[in-house]
Amino acid sequence: MSDDSLIIYEAEITKIDNLLKKMLKGAEAKCALLVDKDGHLITRQGFTHSLDTTALAALLAGSFASTKEIAKLVGEPEFSVLFHQGKKDHIHMSIVGERSILAVIFDDRTTIGMVRLYAKETAQELSRIFQEILDRHEPSPGISNEFADMAQDKLDDIFQD
Amino acid sequence: MVSINYSAREVCCKIVYYGPGLSGKTTNLQYIHSKVPQDTRGKLISLATEADRTLYFDFLPINIGTINDFQAKFQLYTVPGQVYYNATRKLVLRGVDGVVFVADSQPDKMDENLESLANLEENLVEYGYNPDELPMVIQYNKCDLPGVMSSDELNAKLNQKGRPFFHGSATLGNGVFDTLKLIIKLVLEKAKATGKGEGAARPAAQAAPAPPAPSVEKPYPETAPAAATAPAPEQQAAAVAEAPVVDQPAEVAVESQPLAATAEPESQPLAATAEPESQPAATTAEPEPREELSREAAYRPYPGSEKASTERKAPALGRSQAEELPAEALGRNIGAGTSDRQEQQSTVASTPQMAPSLRRRGENKKRGFFKRLFGIK
Ligand SMILES: Nc1nc2c(ncn2[C@@H]2O[C@H](COP(=O)(O)OP(=O)(O)OP(=O)(O)O)[C@@H](O)[C@H]2O)c(=O)[nH]1
Ligand SMILES: [Mg+2]
Repeated sequence: MSDDSLIIYEAEITKIDNLLKKMLKGAEAKCALLVDKDGHLITRQGFTHSLDTTALAALLAGSFASTKEIAKLVGEPEFSVLFHQGKKDHIHMSIVGERSILAVIFDDRTTIGMVRLYAKETAQELSRIFQEILDRHEPSPGISNEFADMAQDKLDDIFQD
Repeated sequence: MVSINYSAREVCCKIVYYGPGLSGKTTNLQYIHSKVPQDTRGKLISLATEADRTLYFDFLPINIGTINDFQAKFQLYTVPGQVYYNATRKLVLRGVDGVVFVADSQPDKMDENLESLANLEENLVEYGYNPDELPMVIQYNKCDLPGVMSSDELNAKLNQKGRPFFHGSATLGNGVFDTLKLIIKLVLEKAKATGKGEGAARPAAQAAPAPPAPSVEKPYPETAPAAATAPAPEQQAAAVAEAPVVDQPAEVAVESQPLAATAEPESQPLAATAEPESQPAATTAEPEPREELSREAAYRPYPGSEKASTERKAPALGRSQAEELPAEALGRNIGAGTSDRQEQQSTVASTPQMAPSLRRRGENKKRGFFKRLFGIK
């Protein structure tokens, strides 16, 4: 657990971003977030300006985690897709590989079917990329000593009663 | 684990406040939220019952700023302390980097403290952690109340491993920041690169410089059909073909789709058989500027995860395009075979909440796809 970190490099993120862009264009969706199951945002594309993506990432991960437990309790290995329908905006979430979640936000200018179609493909391509990353078995480099020290030095300034 | 995102240029650590029900975990986060500078924290999100008991978690993101060009972020979570919420409590623990154990210092709460501590270790072990190696700080909370137990009494029962501890009062704020600062320090210490000199977020001089992203933003259109607003040259054919779907009966739109549609970039997913189509990501994406704006950083209240990726694009570790995956790994698509189609249909059937009109449109549009795919006239 503590050593299974995913090291994703710039080039891979670019690749992932491109896949997301392609999906958004094809599905005519608003935006997409890729979140790891621990609630960290990996990347996002589209019109996310008005969104609190940090909070969204944490909540999406929580939502998926609880859904997974629900699945277990009813004897399903996993509900691989979640869909929430709103008045105007809808959200489609699907699992990517073992440890990430792809969330697509869209409105009525497209359809759930289109979104699902594109999201499914994109998820498969993404999970291939993640698998390659995992296959590198690259240990986390950790953070530099200097970074850690400087961060520690800042704490007293920020956290004052 | 501490997550290092080289693209967004951030280091992110997850800290979980654990402890029995009503010990003051949520109050800790509320105090932190109320006291730290606005640009340092995000929104406090509480998934709670009507009686303000934590149901799933509280979440408070903290960003202590940019160091060596990397942002240092901490995600603070609380768990629900009540015994019967173990299922959700355990989920919150996933991927934790450090734990604050908030104990209730009142003598009659000792059993609950002990039970919660045992439960914590159990859940950590189930996730594959060694509880003794995980950074942890104990907070003996509610020390403002009369008749609370002494350090010695509390440590004897709850701290046999000699972990660092503070007495605190989350309502008054005593000890809250001491606890937080120490757990952050311990987490950072643990995350330090074991090797010498290596590690992410080294001084900027060592990282490749990169130009800021161009500032171009298109607002998300509220009324116009999406296709019409994106007149990228390679997309125009698609726009013409797709746009009518928005206003016309789907049936008509579908019928009007030329079968030659496989040539349009939009048909990627189904174009799996058409090889030349299969490396679009690399070609289409580059000219498009990233959506973020550097200038936005100036007025964003919370320098959250949105920002970092816009500023720079170079990898910290000197890895780069050389690392790129083969182009085929990207663009090659799954074959939209029979099983795909079946699943597609069953999906539609299993989303009864979709408005009928939408559903019809979805089906029709999809049928258009499969028509194109299989060349059905
Ligand atoms: N006197 C006193 N009361 C406190 C202190 N900390 C918390 N409380 C009170 O204890 C009650 C419970 O606090 P919460 O922070 O909601 O407890 P919790 O640990 O989040 O509880 P769960 O969500 O059920 O796990 C609230 O009424 C708080 O005001 C403290 O230091 N002193
Ligand atoms: Mg609580």
